[in-house]
Amino acid sequence: MSRIQIEGLTRRFGSGNHAVNAVDGISLDVADGEFLVLLGPSGCGKSTLLRMIAGLTPPTGGRILLDGRDITAAEPRERNLAMVFQSYALYPHLTVAKNIGFPLRTRRRKDVDAKVTEVAKALGLEQLLDRRPRALSGGQRQRVALGRALVRDPGAFLLDEPLSNLDATLRTATRAELTDLHRRLRSTFVYVTHDQIEAMTMATRIAVLNGGRLEQVGTPEEVYDAPASTFVAGFIGSPAIGLLPAEVRGADGELRAVGDGVDMPLGPGHDASGREVLVGARPEHLRIGTGAVGPEWRGTVRLVENLGGEEVAHVTVGGGRVALRGPRPLGLAVGDAVRLTCDPDRIHLFCATSGRRLVRTPEPRRAAVAV
Amino acid sequence: MTLIEVTTPAHTPSDGAVVLRESRVRTVLGHVVLGGLGLLCIVPVYWLYATSLRAPEDIYSLRPFPWPLSVASYAEARDTVDLPQLLLNTFVMAALIALGQLVTGLLAGYAFAAWRFRLQNTLYLVFVATWLVPFQVTMVPNYALLNQLGTLNTITGVVIPNLCSALAVIMLRSHLRSIPHELLEAARMDGRGAWSTLWTVVVPNLWPALAALGVLLFINAWNEYFWPALVLQRTNNVLQLALHSFIGPEGTQWGPLMATAGLACLPVLLLYLILQRRIVDGFVRSGLK
Repeated sequence: MSRIQIEGLTRRFGSGNHAVNAVDGISLDVADGEFLVLLGPSGCGKSTLLRMIAGLTPPTGGRILLDGRDITAAEPRERNLAMVFQSYALYPHLTVAKNIGFPLRTRRRKDVDAKVTEVAKALGLEQLLDRRPRALSGGQRQRVALGRALVRDPGAFLLDEPLSNLDATLRTATRAELTDLHRRLRSTFVYVTHDQIEAMTMATRIAVLNGGRLEQVGTPEEVYDAPASTFVAGFIGSPAIGLLPAEVRGADGELRAVGDGVDMPLGPGHDASGREVLVGARPEHLRIGTGAVGPEWRGTVRLVENLGGEEVAHVTVGGGRVALRGPRPLGLAVGDAVRLTCDPDRIHLFCATSGRRLVRTPEPRRAAVAV
Repeated sequence: MTLIEVTTPAHTPSDGAVVLRESRVRTVLGHVVLGGLGLLCIVPVYWLYATSLRAPEDIYSLRPFPWPLSVASYAEARDTVDLPQLLLNTFVMAALIALGQLVTGLLAGYAFAAWRFRLQNTLYLVFVATWLVPFQVTMVPNYALLNQLGTLNTITGVVIPNLCSALAVIMLRSHLRSIPHELLEAARMDGRGAWSTLWTVVVPNLWPALAALGVLLFINAWNEYFWPALVLQRTNNVLQLALHSFIGPEGTQWGPLMATAGLACLPVLLLYLILQRRIVDGFVRSGLK
């Protein structure tokens, strides 16, 4: 059990004009027993951040504390952290039993065999102990890698996209196993992925990274329901949220966001009038409108995708696009003119210049405030 | 109501017979060409052993099979030179050189492949450049050094200047670079230091490459003539120099010369036969996948 505190952690690659900040001043507090997922697209710095926590990449600036102890300059072996690599990094010349027992033999532990048997039993690997990694399937290799991490009883587990080499079925099953493992061990997990489904299903908190910086840290519900920026809104959710430009206009003490094909009431207010915004709603919150009141998007159906149980309609609205998802059949065809609407509480509003979320405050005189 | 089973889409078999015939012709042709080339390589070696086993009066015979078989040439060679001692000396020299070059190559290759340090590429290029320096350039300084060390006319003198090989460094660096970096990082996470990682993770996974390179270096050292001839001027301590004993102003004694040369080839052939699979693996694969 370990608490990991990261303070202003930075990693710069290159020098002079070619220097790139892969991780740029990130501060994060991972609580004891938490399952924190570092989520972001390729190149956002999530793996570099994990490697800095592991001690495999030295930071350029900032500090890492493990249970209050500064480990920024400590060697990986002094950190009491275990890591599962994307490629599993199993030792090809060793059997499963020896792979799992490797960290214990390094520490000259006497109970190697007993611990290996215990972990193998917990992970269902008893029948495979004499096999070498090349004779294992992807899922079995993944479990061996997990076993090698588990056997040490580390303070925290660091997992670098461990499911990315598995097929879809196995990935779903392993996700559930990992969640169950975390629940049983109550250890701290820091998990890197670019897969939003993994993040949403396993995390107790998600840290979304973009360009080496933290975009948002929150529970899966917070990140999905109240994305702090257009990046988070677009990155999480499939199909992606459609964001359309609009201008806030006030009339008779009421504010509206009005754009090409977009018209939606924002509630009472004055001082945000004239502000450029981006408005959007999750595809599953949009519905084909019938009434004359409420938010609306007017556009033309460009494409209808069949997902089996559901259909997704991609609709061109003004210069942008929004997606609508619902049970099959939606009753839409390509070329149909359509009016979409949704619950006003489900509308997301972002500043057009900064991309940060705008929240509507209950005070009638303060219509919009940047987060 | 009737129930009709859904059928799978129809499968149209391709015309496999023509493809199979073409592929068989290609295989036969390939075997014929490779067999011819193989024969071309084997014939000189076969002729060496055949000549060594001919009776002295048949030594110039062109008969492909030596008959009656005779070991007279081997007996004469044994009487002229101390064959067991020469074999032992040559083996020790070649083994020490190969081992030294493997160890230094492994350490240097590991440093170049697994670590990042200042002037890494420059230093590596310097290593590579030493390969391009002709032997004649280093011959005199090395000889002078051995003279000062008092190791002239000894096997030690032959071995010491050959303990490092740029070829070994280049090859092992290339093999080491193909070992996934995550494997080394996993060992670090599991608590191993650089030295321990080298011996417990890197070397066991590098066996095919080490075996292949070891044999190559051993053969190179075994076949070395010029440097031993320079250092061992007063003694014929190694087999290759002893061959010269059968070439005199009165002519060449082909029988014992072939017998000694045959014996000189034998350890290398045996080594290759034993480690054949690992050697092929080592050269075909550049490391781990």
